[in-house]
Parts: sequence; structure tokens; C-alpha cells
Amino acid sequence: MGTKLTEELISTVRSIVGFDFSDMDIIRALHLAKNNPTAAINIIFDAPNFISKQKSPTPKTPNPNPKSKPNPVPDKQPNLVVKDNGNRILSQNLEVNCIENDARDCTIDDSERVLSSVGSEWWHVGSGVVAGLSTCKGRRVKAGKEVNFTFPLKSKISNSPSPGKGFGRGRQTVVACSEIVRFSTKDSGELGRIPNEWARCLLPLVRDGKVRIMGRCKSAPDVLGIMDTIELSISVYLNSAMFRKHHQNSLKAAANSTEETIVHPLPNLFRLLGLTPFKKAEFTPADLNTRKRPLNSKDGCGLLASLLNVSKSENQSGNGNEVENEESISDANLENIVGVGDSSELEEMDPPSTLQCDLRPYQKQALHWMIQLEKGKCMDEAATTTLHPCWEAYHLADKRELVVYLNVFSGDATIEFPSTLQMARGGCLDQIMLLKILADAMGLGKTIMTISLLLTHSGKGGSSNSQSGSQPCTGGGSSDNSDQLPNQLTKSTKSSGFDKLKQKKMLVNGGNLIICPVTLLGQWKAELETHAQPGSLSIYVHYGQSRVKDANFLAHSNVVITTYGVLASDFSAENAEGNAGLYSVHWFRVVLDEAHTIKSSKSQISVAAAALVADRRWCLTGTPIQNNVEDIYSLLRFLKVEPWESWAWWNKLVQKPCEEGDERGLKLVQSILKPIMLRRTKSSRDREGRPILVLPTADVQVIYCQLTEAEKDFYEALFKRSKVKFDQFVEQGRVLHNYASILELLLRLRQCCDHPFLVMSRGDAQEYSDLNKLAKRFLKGGQNVLEGEGTDVPSRAYIQEVVEELSKGEQGECPICLEAFEDAVLTACAHRLCRECLLASWRNASSGLCPVCRKTITRQELITAPTDSRFQIDVEKNWVESSKIAALLQELEKLRLSGSKSILFSQWTGFLDLLQIPLSRRNIPFVRLDGTLNQQQRERVIKQFSEDDSILVLLMSLKAGGVGINLTAASNAFVMDPWWNPAVEEQAVMRIHRIGQTKRVMIRRFIVKGTVEERMEAVQARKQRMISGALSDQEVRTARIEELKMLADSQIEPAVYRKMILDRWDVEGPPPNQWKRVRKRKPPPPLQHSNGAYLALSTSTLSGSATQYYRVGVFDNCSQKWRNLVDCLTLKTKKSSEVQTKKLAVVQNVNYGALGLDLISIELVVSEEVLESREKAKPQLWKMRTPEEASVHWRQLFGHLDREE
Amino acid sequence: MANSNLPRRIIKETQRLLSEPAPGISASPSEDNMRYFNVMILGPTQSPYEGTFVQLLIGGVFKLELFLPEEYPMAAPKVRFLTKIYHPNIDKLGRICLDILKDKWSPALQIRTVLLSIQALLSAPNPDDPLSENIAKHWKTNEAEAVETAKEWTRLYASGA
Repeated sequence: MGTKLTEELISTVRSIVGFDFSDMDIIRALHLAKNNPTAAINIIFDAPNFISKQKSPTPKTPNPNPKSKPNPVPDKQPNLVVKDNGNRILSQNLEVNCIENDARDCTIDDSERVLSSVGSEWWHVGSGVVAGLSTCKGRRVKAGKEVNFTFPLKSKISNSPSPGKGFGRGRQTVVACSEIVRFSTKDSGELGRIPNEWARCLLPLVRDGKVRIMGRCKSAPDVLGIMDTIELSISVYLNSAMFRKHHQNSLKAAANSTEETIVHPLPNLFRLLGLTPFKKAEFTPADLNTRKRPLNSKDGCGLLASLLNVSKSENQSGNGNEVENEESISDANLENIVGVGDSSELEEMDPPSTLQCDLRPYQKQALHWMIQLEKGKCMDEAATTTLHPCWEAYHLADKRELVVYLNVFSGDATIEFPSTLQMARGGCLDQIMLLKILADAMGLGKTIMTISLLLTHSGKGGSSNSQSGSQPCTGGGSSDNSDQLPNQLTKSTKSSGFDKLKQKKMLVNGGNLIICPVTLLGQWKAELETHAQPGSLSIYVHYGQSRVKDANFLAHSNVVITTYGVLASDFSAENAEGNAGLYSVHWFRVVLDEAHTIKSSKSQISVAAAALVADRRWCLTGTPIQNNVEDIYSLLRFLKVEPWESWAWWNKLVQKPCEEGDERGLKLVQSILKPIMLRRTKSSRDREGRPILVLPTADVQVIYCQLTEAEKDFYEALFKRSKVKFDQFVEQGRVLHNYASILELLLRLRQCCDHPFLVMSRGDAQEYSDLNKLAKRFLKGGQNVLEGEGTDVPSRAYIQEVVEELSKGEQGECPICLEAFEDAVLTACAHRLCRECLLASWRNASSGLCPVCRKTITRQELITAPTDSRFQIDVEKNWVESSKIAALLQELEKLRLSGSKSILFSQWTGFLDLLQIPLSRRNIPFVRLDGTLNQQQRERVIKQFSEDDSILVLLMSLKAGGVGINLTAASNAFVMDPWWNPAVEEQAVMRIHRIGQTKRVMIRRFIVKGTVEERMEAVQARKQRMISGALSDQEVRTARIEELKMLADSQIEPAVYRKMILDRWDVEGPPPNQWKRVRKRKPPPPLQHSNGAYLALSTSTLSGSATQYYRVGVFDNCSQKWRNLVDCLTLKTKKSSEVQTKKLAVVQNVNYGALGLDLISIELVVSEEVLESREKAKPQLWKMRTPEEASVHWRQLFGHLDREE
Repeated sequence: MANSNLPRRIIKETQRLLSEPAPGISASPSEDNMRYFNVMILGPTQSPYEGTFVQLLIGGVFKLELFLPEEYPMAAPKVRFLTKIYHPNIDKLGRICLDILKDKWSPALQIRTVLLSIQALLSAPNPDDPLSENIAKHWKTNEAEAVETAKEWTRLYASGA
């Protein structure tokens, strides 16, 4: 019967009265109270004899004698207690038993065992003073008196909350009770409790038997009153067994419960004890072994503070994170931030004989590094001797000079030196490399290095790795891949919704998988074939509709090459059908080439890559960060670098801080990457201090052109026209809806800088230049389109007529403007109109009726009517050199005599068309490569260009020629127009500045002064600094220093100040802590025309899906003016003499389609303050009234053109 | 003056209307407003609105006014009969019920096409979509009589004077 009931009642009562009373006391009271807990509690508190009985050494309860059998003691203090009694310490193990079983069953006190254990088992961590709070009245305690600590039961309390029962406080008390650690002396019973702060971190540790404490009263009032302070000096001991048994994992269980809050008991306890991690900048394994390192603790107790220190010192070593082009920072600064270490100390390793080419020394180093990393060995001394940034080292107070390492993030503890590398391994066991070579480091031969790795070390995934047996693995990394396999599988299960796979089938063990962009597919295959000895590797290209999906087949090949697209499609197929190609294989190694492809962590490709099952994972990229630190997260997730593959971790510790401009975020990124990343630039040096790669110097210059008068007129006319359109959008309050149009305006202006003719060109004229194709499309497309409509297809005869007209080049007339066609388009119903006329006739921008036949047509269906030329005028007849072309020709003429070859890059094939005119007129032989060529044609062009000496120029579209191609035959590159993302330009230019280049390289970029191009240059610069900034942290710091200067110096020119702010903004993003996302509000966003703040076009338009910061103009109440830019970002209010600035609003996350033109989404971030103040401000102040005001916004877009209008 | 800002399209249309007029249609812009046209349409042959030849054409000349609004050609021209006409789709104020002048307007249409459409409307009255209920009713109940009335009116009013 009642045992259960009674137990419940007992715990109910206990939860109120605390542990001063033995179970028997409570049972007695309950008995007296006829099992009414409320009454029982009253009895206990009201009847003084309950306490006196308690106090007496021999209770009158029917309990057994505590002296002969210690059980009753735990009745009083159910889960013991550590006594500081010289050597007398109670065993923790028993205590654990106490918790697990029932308090009353456990036997405690085993002095002999404790005696023996205290020496070796328990390590003295340190001592501290705790201010306990008295919970009793009238008792006495002498200084020096030992105290016992009572830790509440965990299980029991939580199991018996006894709801209801007539006392409302019950539940609360239960909860509170569970955290209270009380202390008592033998003589006087409970004295008080220790502060919650202590209790919280001690409890889980003591419960798990990892820690125990001994305490003495240090000082206390003569007679205790409630809430009096009793000073206790306590010593904490750590159970060394936990290190030996489970390594660092043992603490994790304890940590889990508090993971959410990232307050881990052990580090916290250390902190409470006043232990500080000692610095380890000059820390070597020797020091560690002898353990004679002087305690060198400095500041930095707080987790993050210490983290910062750690990563700072971390930076002292590691591979050459050199920062170039940054003269602004002093040497000392540089050393501080980046460190002087480099990778020159890496050993070299000869490739296997099956590799049929010679490796350069630095490539051999890389091979060695890769092999070692796969084996899990630390070859980089720095990595071995450098404490992992997540870990802190503590000296224990123990006489044996023990050192304990704590992971400040996970709360893990270990006594083994957690080197950066080891932990990376310990965490993920996958081998990792980011060949992270910044933009200037392209062309170092990542492909070759990877091939040599494949040849050196290959095997089958999942199988017990034959080589691993011989690996002298260190410490925590002793388990080899196969051990970790299940583990890893589980991980991927979690991270990628991959459960089906795991449940369903065993994966087939496969070889190497290389994933690359489709353009590089052929190159990989070719390089593998040329560089690997025939027969040494079997290669299969997994691509195309007919690709073999059979797992065994895939697994059979040594190397499978595939593309990201195939990966994604296999991934979705896998999810759908449960069995598909790449996902049915357990790969030995997966290599992502151009790994930044997966940078967007939400993209399917990224998810798909992370879901691959493999032992070894590698990322190859020259530009690990393209837009945002977030780019790295995706790589880390693929690499399964713990704990960063968890978004929560990453976001909290890296992403957010970075966004908030907190240096620690960036530091952390660096220290995460350092051990797993090998990054060399072309200027990296080898052991002897020679550059690793002797490339001829590159002479990079920007040629600034001036527009001629005529061009200027044209540009300005265009500019004005654009401005009118823009103003219209502003007036209609539809800026937000017209970003695509606005960007197009911008595009035209950019084209105008190349050549005014370009503005009159049409974009997609090429597509249907084949008229037969066009006719077919009409006849076929008509049927498809019209199925739903039921209207008639344009008749064959009519189409023939149209096509004939087109082929004859008959001009015809637009039925709307009655003029000759200007940029004619063909509708799906084969009617020809001016594009502009047609679009103007529509009520909405995306679709409308055909003005001729009234059929509904959409904008997408429109076909640019093919003409011989994409230009409206006969460009050859009316040929005029633009100033940019003139400048180019000047350069080319200079080079003509030397016979050195040049590549001309432009984003617009139209411009390439134009360039052909002067080239042919001047008899400069050229070839051309653009997106219209297929792979074979491209290869032919490249071959022709490389081998035919007479051909001097290659015209190349920036997008077609950007990646992978080797064009070292040329030694000059001309980038005709700037692209938003400097990385794209760099990629292109590096086609010539790479291995194999023997001549001096000349790179020229053209910028037209006083135009939108200049503006773009600034954007590029910021972006470039962002990229290096995320790696080196330098930029952020510089910007901050500069900004501080700015703030200090009030004399600074407003324009400069504005620029500073914007630079900083672009590099770091807005400080989000005071920012609230208001995306959820219905579009249009809250800051709109009538409301005041206004969206204006950003200057930092980037390609891809970059996060963008649109600036928002706001009305400044003080000056009664619309404030521009800075002024938009910050609202200056003058309060007495000081100037206060407040950031107001920013738009975030503007996504563009691939072409950088189609706007997908905009996210607006507004300071709460604005929302508030907006409500307060008088409505008319928030209204935008005149075109003058609108022009402010225009200025944000084309500010460079402003001349005080 | 309003004419100074005349879109090229209107100028072009006007020129063409004057240089190569459509048969049975004349349209000329007003002196002081180039957007306002004086229009004359001959009643189509074989229709009740046909004029009769007795050495000279007698009757069957309908006067209309046509105005091109500011939005033209994105909006339809406004056209009205000035001559009294007995037609189910034209009311006594001369307003015309014709879809292309309303929701079926397309910028690909021109003054010329509009006027041709109106001419066609005279050939094919459509009493099922009437503007003038009485006339439509008349047309439906006794077409012969209605046609007679129309002829009568044409003789009486459409003298072109």
C-alpha cells in the first residue's frame, strides 16, 4: 500500500521543510497528521521537539543506529556530502549510487577507500571562499569547523511534485529546492545554503561524481540569524577517473542539460574558484610535459574574453595568412592580427610514381599536409602546440601541477592537450582541407595537388582503412575512420533528413568522388588522364541523362567525377525514391572543386553536398568567402567540423558577432579554419624564403578614361532620362516594385561607358538569329501556349511571311508608334512591335494582351526579333571609337610589335561585337570566345589562340571565360568594364597569371571617370576588403580605427565621414542588436512613401544572392531635410553641444537572380526607434513632397554625377 | 498650344489620313486643336444608310467628331455621330456602342481603323447589343419597317450639309 503514497508524501513535505529532517521525522509527522502533508508540515515546524530530536546524535526515531550503520545519515542528508576532514572523504561513487537508487538504501562512509583515493583519484582543483547564507537561527558555528554539503535529490523530487494537495506553493518550492545546496555541521545540523551560483554549477558535477567539495567555516557571526553570511572556504576536487575513462566526453552528459544557455558547470566552477586560464602564446609541448610553465594568468576570465585571447595567440602561428595590399596597417599591428607564421615549414612529400608530372615543392608540401591530415597526424607543429581556440588551459591547485583543459563552448574537459588539429579531428574525424587561396592565389595547381592525393592514398570508403593501422595517431584522435563511421552516419542523418537511407540499406563502399562545376568536368577528366599513369585510376564521369545509377558500378571506379547539378538531382531523387546514384555509395573521399558553389547554406546543392556519406571530405576553392562569412558555414557543414556544422553554434558564435562587428567572431573563424585550411598565395614563401611559385610579376593598373564631349552629352542625356524614370518611380511610391527596371537603367549607363552604341543594342538578339529555329518555335510554341487558350495558332503561312520579312531585313513599322521598329520583339502570336511600345500598352509589367490580336501574352514569351546586327544603326558605317576603345587600341598598338597576346574581357558580348570592328580595321588578328560556343568550339578557339602566333587578341566574355581555363599563352589582360564582384574579375584575369606563365603579365582595367563605373570601383574595393577582412580581420579593424578618428575629429568633411560610415556598413553590416526585423509586416514595407523614410537604391549591388544593405532615407526633424546616406543611416540630433547619431533603418537581404537583375526579395530592417519615432513625429514631416526630395534618393544611386542641381 | 506637343504618332496618322484617305471616309483635324477631327463617313452601299445617286450623291453623308485623348494611343479615341441616325447601336446623342472604342481598344488600332469599324457597324447593325433600346426593339420586331425608318432618316438628316 502506502509505501508509494508515503514516499510521495514524504517528498512533498520535504520539499517544504528541507533536509533538516530525516525521513523518519517526516513519517512520524505524517503519521501524527494522518497523512495530511499540510498538517504534517505544521507539526514539524510548530513542535520544537522535532528539531531538538533532529539535533541529538541519537535520534529517537526507529532508525537504526547511525554509528553502526550509516544509512540514517543520508536520511538526514540524503545524498551526501563531502567532508573536509583531512583525508577523510566520502566516496563519490557511493554518492552517485545514492542518487540512482533510493537515498535510504545507500551506504556511505568508507573511509579507507576514500583515504586511498584522495591522493591519486581526486585532484585538487582549487579553493575558494563561498559566502553561505544562514538558514537557521540561534545556532553556532566556529571558524575552522568542517561543514558537510547536502545536495538535493534529483530524481525523487522531479518525480513527486504532488500537485494540488492544498498548498499552492508546493510546486514552486519543489523546483527551487532542487537547486539548493545546503551545508551543515555534524554538531549543529543545517546551517545554511550556498549561493545559487555555486549550487548550479556544483550540482550536476557532484551528482555525476565528477567533482566533490570539502569545506570549512571560515568566519561566521557568533550566533547565526537567518540570512547571516557564513564564510566558507571550500576546496574542490576533480575526479581524475573521468578523464581516463571517457576522455573529454564524460562531461558532456552533464553539459547537455544546460546546453541551451551555454553555461557549463565546469568552466563556471573554475571561474567561481578564481581559476584563470594561463596564456599559451609561448606554450610548447615541452613546457606542458614538464608542467613547469609558470602560472601566467592575465585578465580574461569571462568566456569570450578568454576566447579572444586564445584566438589572438592562436594567430601567432598557422599558415601564411598574409595580407597584401594593406599598407595602411603597421607591421606591429599586422603581427598582432595575422601573425607571422607561414606554411613554409611543412614537409614535402614525393608523389607516387603513378603521377606523371613533377610537383613543385609547395605542391609536395600540400600533398604531405593532405596525407597527414587524412591520417590524422599533426604535421604542422604549430597546430600541435597551439591550444585549440575553444579550449582553455587551467593549472589546478593540486601539488602535482596538473593541467586541465576546458572547452568553453561545450563544457568538455580533458587533460590531453587539445591542439587545434586534434580537436578538429576529434570532432569530426573527417579530413578536411580548404585549399583556401584567395583571389590572387588562383592558378597554384589545386587540381594537380588533389590528383596526387588521389594517387597517393586511395581506398574504399567505409572499409577499415588499411593505412590507418600504421598511423601514429595522437591522443583523442586515436580512433580511426572506421570507428567513427557509425557516428558520422548518425550525424548526417540528423543534418540532412537522411534517415531513410540509413534505415534502408547498407551503403556500398566506393572510391573517390569529385564534384565540380560542369565547365570543369572535361578538364578534370583530362587532367586525371594526363597526370595519372594509365591504369592507375579508373575514372567514370557521372553525368548526363544516361548516367549509371547503380551503386556497385559507381563504387567500382576509383574516381567518379560529377557536377553539382547531378549531385542535386541525385539528392532529390534519393529523397524521392530512396535509391539513387551518388547517395547509395559510401565514399572514400569526396572532393568539392570550386567549393564556394555550395556557399549558400540553404541551397539544395549545399544540403545535397552535406548529405553525402564519406570518410574524407575536401573542399577546393580559391575564394572561400565570396560575400559573407556565412559562406564558410556551408563549407564547414559539408566538412562536418564540429561543432560548427550546427547552425545554432555557428550563428551564435560566429555569424552574429561578425554581423555585429564583433572582432571575436572573425577571430573565431580564423581559428576554426587555421588547422583545416591550407592557404597559400602566389607570394607565399618556402623554407628558404623564396616564393613558392615563381611567377613573373603582374603589373596591374587601372586606366582611367575621360569621356569625350559627345560621349559625355550622350551619357548625361541617358542619365537624365534614367533619372526621370527613377523620379517617376519615386513619385508613384513604387521604387520597391521597380528595382529590376532601375537596375536596367544602371546597366545602360554602364554600357554607355563602354560605348554609346551598346546602349542601343539588344540583349538576346543572338538566340533566334537562326530564322528556321524561330519559325519552328512559333509553330510548336504556339500549340503549347494555346492549349489552354483555345485560340488559333498563327497560321503557317503567316509565320512564313513574318520570317521572310525578317530574313529580307524589311524594316516594317511598329503598329503602335507607326515608326520603324526600335528594339523589335515578336510575340508568341508572331506579331512584331517595339519592345517599349508593347510594354507601355500593358497595364502590368509582366503580361498583357497582344495589341494586334488581343491574345494574352507574357513578357517571358517575347522574343527579340532577330536582325543582322544587334544594333539599331549600322555600327560599321557609323563607326566611332569610344574613349575607352581608343585607350584600348593605344595599348594594343604598343603591344603589337612585341607580338605578345592579349585577352579582352567584357561582360557584354555586344561590346565584343563592337570591338571586332576596330580590330579588323587595324588588322589585329583576333578570335572570340563567348557563351554561344559549345565545349568543343571553345577548346578549338583556345587551341587556336594558344598555338597560332599570328593571333594577337582573344575576345572573351567575362562569364564564359571566368573559370578554369588556362590561357597562359597570353600575357596581357584587359578588363574592359568593371563587374560588381571583384572576385569574378580576378578569376578571369588569373587565367593568364598562373603556372606556366613565363612572361611578365600586364593587367589593365578600364574605368571611365565621373561615371557609374567609378562608383562600382568603390563597391568592388569594399567587397575586396570584406573578403580579406573576414580572413584577416584587418579591414574591420582599420575601418574602425579610421572611423574612430572620424568621430574624434569634428572638422572632418561630411562627405568623407559619410564614406567612412558606408564603408564600415558594407564591410560589417549593420549592428543588429538594436535592429528588429520587420519582414513579417506585409509588403510594402513599413517605411514607405507616405510614412517618411524612403527606400533608395543601394550602391552596393552585388551579384549572386548577396546580402545587401539598402540605405533608407529618412526625414530629419532637425534640419527639416531629407538626409542622404549617412544621414539616412544615422539620424543626427543635436543635444546641447554633443552630436548624437542614431542608426535608423536598413534594408537587408536583397536577392538577385543569377544575372544580378531580377529582384527576388527584399528584407527591410528598421530600428525600433524609428517605428516609435515615426508614430510620434508629425505626419507631414514624414512625407516626401517635392522632386527635390526625391532627387536625394537619386543621388544615392548616381551620387557621383551630382553637381549641385 | 496643345498642338506643339503632339506625339509623332498622331502627326503621322493625320498625314496618312489626309494623303491616302480610306474610301468613303474623310477625317481632318481641326485648325485649333490637332487632336480634334472632323469626320465624314459615307453610308455603306447596300445598307439603309446608303446615299442615293441622282447625278450627284444625295444624302448618306454622316458627320462625326473624333477626339484623341491625352493618353492616345494607349486609350481609345472618343467618337460621336453629329448627324442624327436611326441605328440600334447609336443613341440620339450620337454615342456609339462599339467594343473597340471601349474595353477592346488596342493601341494597334488607329483613327482609320476606328472609322472603318464604324462604317462597318452601319452595314451590320447589331440589335442584340443595343444602345438605343427602342430602335433595337423596333429592329427586332419589324426589321423591314426599321430599315425603312433608317432610310428615311438618312434622307432627312444625312445630307452632309
